[in-house]
Amino acid sequence: MTSSQPAPGRAMVTSAPLWSVLIVPVLLTAFAIMAVLGDALLAARAAGRPLLTAAAAPAAGAARLLIGQRRRTPAPDALLWRAGLWTVPAAGILAALVIPFGTVTASRMSVGVVWFNAMEVLTWAGLWLAGWGANSALSLIAGYRFVAQGLAYELPLMFALISVAAGAQSLDVADIAAAQSHLWFAVWMPAAFAAYLAGVYAFSFLGPFGAPAGHDVAGGVLAEVSGVDRLAIEAGRWLLLAAGAGMAVPLFLGGAAGPVLPAWAWSAVKTLAVLAGLTWARGRLPALRADRYAEFAWVVVLPLSVAQALVPALVDLTR
Amino acid sequence: MGLTGLLLRAGAARPHVLTVAVPGATAVRLAAEEQLRRRGWPAALSPADADILLTCGDFAGPMAAAVTETWQAMPAPRARAAAVLPAEVASALDAAQATVADLAGQRVLAAETAGRGAARDSPHNGMDMSETPVGHMGTDMGAMDMAAMDMGGMHGMDMDMDGMAGMHMGGMGEMDMGGMVVRGTAMARRGPDRDGLRLDQLHLPLGPVLPDWPAGLLLRLTLQGDVIQEAEAVALAGGDGSFWDEPWRRAVGGERVTTAEASRRRAAAHLDSLARLLGVAGWEAAATAGRRLRDDVLAGTPGGGVRRDARRFTRRVGRSRVLAWLTSGLGVLDAADAAAAGVAGPAAAGGDVTVRYRRWCAEVDDAVAVLDDTSPLRPAEFGPPRGWAAAGGPPGTDEGQTGLVAVLPRLLAGTEFAGARLVIASLDPDLDQLPARAGAGHGH
Amino acid sequence: MLTAVFWFLALLAAASGFMVFRVNSMARVTIALLVSFLAVGGLLIVLGLAYLGAVVILMMTMEMVIMLVFMIAYMTNPGGLTQMSMYHNKRASLSIAVGTFALLAAGILAVPWPRRAGQPPASPAFQLGQALMGPQMLTMVTLGFVLLATMVGAVVLATSRGRYDRFGDDLRRRSPDDPLRGGVGQ
Repeated sequence: MTSSQPAPGRAMVTSAPLWSVLIVPVLLTAFAIMAVLGDALLAARAAGRPLLTAAAAPAAGAARLLIGQRRRTPAPDALLWRAGLWTVPAAGILAALVIPFGTVTASRMSVGVVWFNAMEVLTWAGLWLAGWGANSALSLIAGYRFVAQGLAYELPLMFALISVAAGAQSLDVADIAAAQSHLWFAVWMPAAFAAYLAGVYAFSFLGPFGAPAGHDVAGGVLAEVSGVDRLAIEAGRWLLLAAGAGMAVPLFLGGAAGPVLPAWAWSAVKTLAVLAGLTWARGRLPALRADRYAEFAWVVVLPLSVAQALVPALVDLTR
Repeated sequence: MGLTGLLLRAGAARPHVLTVAVPGATAVRLAAEEQLRRRGWPAALSPADADILLTCGDFAGPMAAAVTETWQAMPAPRARAAAVLPAEVASALDAAQATVADLAGQRVLAAETAGRGAARDSPHNGMDMSETPVGHMGTDMGAMDMAAMDMGGMHGMDMDMDGMAGMHMGGMGEMDMGGMVVRGTAMARRGPDRDGLRLDQLHLPLGPVLPDWPAGLLLRLTLQGDVIQEAEAVALAGGDGSFWDEPWRRAVGGERVTTAEASRRRAAAHLDSLARLLGVAGWEAAATAGRRLRDDVLAGTPGGGVRRDARRFTRRVGRSRVLAWLTSGLGVLDAADAAAAGVAGPAAAGGDVTVRYRRWCAEVDDAVAVLDDTSPLRPAEFGPPRGWAAAGGPPGTDEGQTGLVAVLPRLLAGTEFAGARLVIASLDPDLDQLPARAGAGHGH
Repeated sequence: MLTAVFWFLALLAAASGFMVFRVNSMARVTIALLVSFLAVGGLLIVLGLAYLGAVVILMMTMEMVIMLVFMIAYMTNPGGLTQMSMYHNKRASLSIAVGTFALLAAGILAVPWPRRAGQPPASPAFQLGQALMGPQMLTMVTLGFVLLATMVGAVVLATSRGRYDRFGDDLRRRSPDDPLRGGVGQ
């Protein structure tokens, strides 16, 4: 049994000064806008339109929401409703504080992985409140759909994070990135990587896990929202996706390490690659419903995640 | 003006459009969907998301009331567009876009709305009833009932447990609040549930303004949580003959109709139904592909490329294991029940949602095989997309669409909301075939 | 600066804890409790126990959301539409609460706390893990399995349809016979 301290080779990642906390939302928004742009280009190609028309999509969408009127519904819980809506982008930005970009990170927490997990869990509260607070039937159904989804995706995601932390023997994101100098975790922990990516879709309620904002409930949690509140929650989904993609890089894809290019360039390239993959795969599946996949999630995916968490533990034991 | 006007014009470059069609205006709706697809304007899912309200066809009676409510629920900036013929859609959309981009006009409109809203608010204890929650587009529901549903909505998951008698929160532990009036609206009543509990009941009218929904259908639901306890289906209007059956009506009337024209219409009908089902199932990319194919088929694009694309589409949808896993076991309608209810067409052979959409895929394949066949149509062998009511019977009667609407309450009782939407989309009743009622609106 | 953050979070935790008993709506009650817990998590992070703080935030958010679902389901007045008073036995409970607070505050202020000797360890999470798992490894493993077995057993006992209802008396059926497909216990 190993009894050593955490890995001696600490990563060369420095914590940036306090004002860098303001840069995180800007950078995250830039990645989110790129994802929205990619999504618009794919939609334009699928619909048979010239691709150039999609270029204005993010700007036009944001402009119309900024100028839009906010709605009221009869007898809502306005405080909780708006708090829930604005929690979604806040969760994305807070989760991104621990993601290293190149050799710099806004907050070098020794427990960065747990912080990331805690911040994405805030969407549970945010979306339930956004669904319930509006006093609208379809919105309420959608809010509860997200909680059901949460029960299914959260544990496999947590075990995936535990797997990478066990593989690097540290909860510090920079240490996890540094521990992949020989082999990426995505290669020898593929089940964890898959569970993580599914979790990213789930907490940003996009793609196959988009039922809380689905067509059959007329937009779900988005059904009664307009104006700047709608901009907040729609941007929040993409910010969460970008944060998830950004976190996948140090956790599974070796961080900012790589030949030739500087560290920040590798971070950007890898993040964009994951983001592109997630955006492309978004339309490939119908929206999964919790009553069908709950059994699959608990009986198949969860034991698989637990078994996956054993792998780095055994590797550590035999080293 | 400055920044506001700039943002308004920037946002108006890509407005979201909420399309409402009346039965009989299918051709206009198809033209509208094609226009939106070509312009890249997203289809709005709810009034909160919409900038432009596009009405297809002539609206009167209950449908007009639904449109008025939808209009009132839309936030500023907004514009209305009305199209009665397919050719009018483009110009209507252009005019509406210009209205949305016009800052002065929007300010005037907002002032008028505020004035009218204040006058209306007074009998309702100051609650702003102009912002109607989505899904509550019931046309014969008074304002009080709507608010009652809202209260019920918030209590949707309430349960009254007899075992909790010991917990008194301010002395209200076991009180059944049904019938009590709070803030001017009634509290929800309770009803039994499949788990043996008693849950609050929400009376929700679904439709007629809802995305991917059969035009003119109103469903009055009694919901407990998201499980439908009871459903009542009402056809709000009729279309006096369906767009999809037009070649067969002309053939039976004595005109010479080619098999190509009929097969195109039939393929497009099933592609339209499939696109709606895929939209409801949340598979937006496949739904867009289906609508694009439908437009190509209807536009008369020659066979080869369309056939290949159609085969690829039907293979992708028909063989999708994920979609089958999500939909199997829902809405099982066996053939005997279908025959007893007078259901005709692809739904009459029985099965669940999976079987029905796979049947549509197979029929699309069959129809695109004869896409260029110029021989005269033989109606007895190659029937209309939703079948004849009686074998070989003439169209113009309702051809089993009342049957489909009549069978819905039985199929939907006990299903969850998402499942119910899938069941309705898999049956896709075409209310155009019902006779138009006087004063209920019609298309052209 | 850190002191200011500490006092802000401390007052927030106490105030939102008190709000739990003042607001009318069950949803607001639970959210007030959640805010209180989040403030406590923040306090732990400020005090240097980053792992505990982050875990408190993580766990409490999930638990409060699940509690929300049950509060809305079981409690009267979930939407806060009517007035409601959550106070019982006011005089006695107030005196007990104030008395306990006074006692604890007096204890905290009067006890001669030792001065810090040396530096806190580099990785508190590792120290915590070693303290728990080092001498108590067998206990932790056993506890883990017992907890898991308890949770699984509770869920299994709660479902009304067992294996034999679903798969037939000889457990031979290939796919389970559920009224609702998906096997979520219905």
